[in-house]
Amino acid sequence: MKKDKKNHLDFIIDKLTNSIENTVSGDSFQTEVSTFTTKDLKQSTKKNGWQFNWKQELINNSREVYKLTIVNNPDIIQGLISFTIKSDHIYMDLIESAPFNLGRNKIYEGVAGNLVAFACKVSFQRGFDGFLSFTAKTKLIEHYEKTLGAYHFGNHLMILETKSSSILVEKYFKNV
Amino acid sequence: MGHIKEPKGVDFIIQSRPLTKAEELAISEHIKNYKLKNNHISNKPKQGVKKRKVQFI
Repeated sequence: MKKDKKNHLDFIIDKLTNSIENTVSGDSFQTEVSTFTTKDLKQSTKKNGWQFNWKQELINNSREVYKLTIVNNPDIIQGLISFTIKSDHIYMDLIESAPFNLGRNKIYEGVAGNLVAFACKVSFQRGFDGFLSFTAKTKLIEHYEKTLGAYHFGNHLMILETKSSSILVEKYFKNV
Repeated sequence: MGHIKEPKGVDFIIQSRPLTKAEELAISEHIKNYKLKNNHISNKPKQGVKKRKVQFI
């Protein structure tokens, strides 16, 4: 995998849904987000095609790690997110789709969007009014502006403000 | 639900870099300003809220 000189998130919001969609059949599957535990580590290793060291994220006490799974299929992780709770907002450290949700032959679309919306929801729950930040690669800044309504703060830094954040939460967690 | 096409040749992923102290402060300042600005706007309609009608029994 190519490594950027500076590390920035470059997740692609391929679809905004309250579920994830099978790219072949077009069928939608409801998702749920739950805490990532040591039990899940076996599945999300570099050996299994994952890019990041999720064990390290789990060990890091300043970070919270969550997994996205399909309802009634909790054993298969579709994507992972780790973030840091700052004093007034949430900073997204890592987002990764499962190896089988990458590339042209990906199985499901919508994983990244689900995870970002979840982080927005947490931001509201923590009293941060939905504020969220992360860094993005140059080529994806415009993409995030369009799909997430993110604000480009400069120096690759993106901010999701209350309005955009609430739109995402509304889209994904309307019935929750 | 909007369908957003994935840019060709670009894949999901990666990790963010740690924020510098200056960036953290700048973000906090931005958040403060956003809240001030938006509270100001959202408070405006409240000023025009109609008074309750007095009901005579």
